[in-house]
Amino acid sequence: MSRAAEPAPPEPPAYDLIWVGRGIALVAAVLLVLYPILSDDLYYQNMIIFSLVFAIAASGLSIITGLAGYVSLGQGAFIGLGGYTVGVLATRHPDTNVWLWMPLAGVTAGLVALILGFVALRARGPSFVIITVAFLFLVQVIAINLPSLTGGTAGLSLPIPTWDPDIANWPFYYTLVGILALQLLLTWWIRRTKLGTGLVAIREDETKAATIGINLPVEKMIAFVASSVLVGVAGGVYGYYLTFIDPRGMFNILLSVETMLALLVGGKATLWGPVLGAFIVEPLNEIANNDLGGGNTKLLIFGGLLVLIVLFLPQGVLPAIESLLSWSRTRGKAGLVGARIGTAGSLASLTGRLSLVERDPAVERPPLLEVTDLRKAFGGLKAVDGASLVVPEGSITGLIGPNGSGKTTLFNLIDRTIHADGGEIRLAGERIDGLSSWARAHRGLGRTYQITRLFREMTVLENVVAAQRSFSWGQLGRIAVSGPEARAAEELLEYVGMRAFRDQKASALSYGQQKLVELAQVLMLDPRLILLDEPAGGINPVLIGRMSEMIRELNSYGKTFLIVEHNMPFVLGLCDPVHVLGRGRTMASGTPAEIQQDPAVVDAYLGDDFVLEAADVADEPQEATK
Amino acid sequence: MTELAQTVVLSLLVGGIYALVASGLTLIFGVMRVINIAHGAFLILGAFIAYTLWSQLGLDPLVGVVITTPIVFGLGWLIYRLLVRPIRNAPMSSTVLLTFGLALVVEGVMGEIWGNDSTAIRPSYVDQSFHIGGVFLPKAQVYGGLLAVVVLLALWAILTKTWLGRAIRAAAANPASAELVGIKVTSVAAVVFGLGLAAAGAGGAITGVLYSFLPGSHYLWIARLLAIVVLGGLGSLEGAVLSALIFGIAETVTAVYISPAWATAVPYAIVFFVLLIRPQGLLGTRLRDDVVAA
Repeated sequence: MSRAAEPAPPEPPAYDLIWVGRGIALVAAVLLVLYPILSDDLYYQNMIIFSLVFAIAASGLSIITGLAGYVSLGQGAFIGLGGYTVGVLATRHPDTNVWLWMPLAGVTAGLVALILGFVALRARGPSFVIITVAFLFLVQVIAINLPSLTGGTAGLSLPIPTWDPDIANWPFYYTLVGILALQLLLTWWIRRTKLGTGLVAIREDETKAATIGINLPVEKMIAFVASSVLVGVAGGVYGYYLTFIDPRGMFNILLSVETMLALLVGGKATLWGPVLGAFIVEPLNEIANNDLGGGNTKLLIFGGLLVLIVLFLPQGVLPAIESLLSWSRTRGKAGLVGARIGTAGSLASLTGRLSLVERDPAVERPPLLEVTDLRKAFGGLKAVDGASLVVPEGSITGLIGPNGSGKTTLFNLIDRTIHADGGEIRLAGERIDGLSSWARAHRGLGRTYQITRLFREMTVLENVVAAQRSFSWGQLGRIAVSGPEARAAEELLEYVGMRAFRDQKASALSYGQQKLVELAQVLMLDPRLILLDEPAGGINPVLIGRMSEMIRELNSYGKTFLIVEHNMPFVLGLCDPVHVLGRGRTMASGTPAEIQQDPAVVDAYLGDDFVLEAADVADEPQEATK
Repeated sequence: MTELAQTVVLSLLVGGIYALVASGLTLIFGVMRVINIAHGAFLILGAFIAYTLWSQLGLDPLVGVVITTPIVFGLGWLIYRLLVRPIRNAPMSSTVLLTFGLALVVEGVMGEIWGNDSTAIRPSYVDQSFHIGGVFLPKAQVYGGLLAVVVLLALWAILTKTWLGRAIRAAAANPASAELVGIKVTSVAAVVFGLGLAAAGAGGAITGVLYSFLPGSHYLWIARLLAIVVLGGLGSLEGAVLSALIFGIAETVTAVYISPAWATAVPYAIVFFVLLIRPQGLLGTRLRDDVVAA
């Protein structure tokens, strides 16, 4: 990277490409709306109606699976629940117009999602998949075993539609088109909000997401309900259209499989992918049913497709096309990620975001963080064994100690990345040891990681925007990708010198760059106390200098710091007071000068040949950046 | 009282078979963090192979385990090499979807070969019982349960007494370090995948004698097996054995004292409650969050 001293301006987004995409979507939408008027071929109308149902189900699924990363194989159950809600009500009230029950189908699906969410969302990864499958089968068993309500295995017959047979399919067709439009609008809107970035953060690294203020259960629950309500309504329409429903059909796992396939084929993190996928997979299903003998052939096609997609096209069709196009566009151009980090930022521009604190040095500083007798054991190993320390308001406090002395574990206990066995933590006098990570973040606790934990698939800007200072329903609905939130994030990136990288994926950054972005991310919380885990570890000397400059500057603006670091010149030059941790306990506390004289510290950690005058920069082994 | 004694003994015999099959599932998870949704499908495949050996060659299905097991082992080894290995570093949900797809394919293939009707293996002793002090124990259950315990012990011996077993446990504990001390982790993983499926295949040959089956039965089996390993703690062999025995009892008691129709709901209910109350299962351990690299 010898060409450019200044980083090149970010590549302008390919607007022409976006407009081509929108044009295609518009033409497809118009064709979809006009089709029943132009052609009365019932075979294709039927195929489109089924495709619409799966498009709605898959677009809903893209919220919980595509954004939040929770793979659900129970999505088909919401189609079935919607169908059964309408079926049961319509057979009991034969004189009422069946269409009136459709909203209730959505309510049922939403309520069940809410209840299921309480159980299911406690589990992560594969356990969640297992639960959703178990849920589907459980609902099926219940539907079979409650014949008085559901008709059992014999099923339910719905009233035959009474309108003009010439337009027999139209009401179903256009209702489903309308529901699909609503679902897409909902999915599109969620993707643009703080809720959406929060969900993607959960997908990328749930533990980390909690520490930047994302209220995990609430946001996952919203996503789960949002991914099911309209699917329930669509299921009601589907059941009415079929006019006969039974447990084996409505709660068939293949409905879930087909929905999942539609999502995966199209592209699970895209808006239009699920729709495209549904219109690919459902016609395949029809062909398998009508021309290839159904049954086993269908299983071979669905199963085979699932295997092939996971192996060869995990991103789906739309992202594959997109990356192909962007590859051909950027071929031969140098990337930005090797460019120099900017240094221009100043805190002055941030005063709207960071509260400035007037401080009288003469006044005794009250403790901001008090840790008392904190304990954590991993099996028999006592990682933190009665550690106590105080971080005075407005200080830059250091925390040093040999490897394995429990420093990072202590950080993890303070921000509740892991749960303490006992002890007390107070932030500004308030006990926070019973609170979740996000509640601690909302009270002013920010934390960076020794091995950086950015959300790898998100851009630098999105990483910063993802942080949530407080929890409110209004804030979740705020647009994240543009407007004041994005501007605030950009200012912070400017400050740490990473603005030029705003549209790069975090995974493309170097380790040092990631440290800077992680700092900006934490600053987005406007925390009172910032925990830094080895801010100077594994980065170059210039950056170490810049890092300590920023810490001092932020401190002068009122930020309190607690810093774990092995680079002694860095710690002893910056921090006061300094705590020393050994075997999970605080073994000494005091000014840098006192610590260097403490015989116990010298013996356990610094070594008797330690002299601070050898204050060259870090010569410690570089951290593996993975 | 004798009814209770009979119920308990029978459910323990069934539990032994569950333990064998569930061990395979939990072993695969423990070593390669793959939840093999196709496990039930390979169990049914084992049953169909045993059926063919019995109906075509007159080979007793329980003796036929000697042939069934190596065939399924070979399939497992091949599947790992071809399908699982390429995505071994992908998120866990990818392998769930992959093995789910595999389960559908195996179901479809079995339907094409053996048809979608209910099939039963009926050797001569299938209607005979042992009578011990008023307790009736069907011979098929006794032979099957005992055979399952023997195969399970053989698996346990492989894992604890051989070099291969040590390599497997090392690879499970820390794949990167295992590589460093000269263990070829992907080869070990292929063997483990084979062994795990072989346990399912052996279990299939045994259960084929006890219950009738069809290709679609694998859903019921995978639900049951997942419930067992989730209850025991994913990846814990001892946990799987323990919870398989508990599960056998719970299922049999529900069927005898409540209704067989609701016995099918037992696994799903167990999965729910376990994950609600104790997500790590009986003998599973939570992992230290911070040692998982981002």
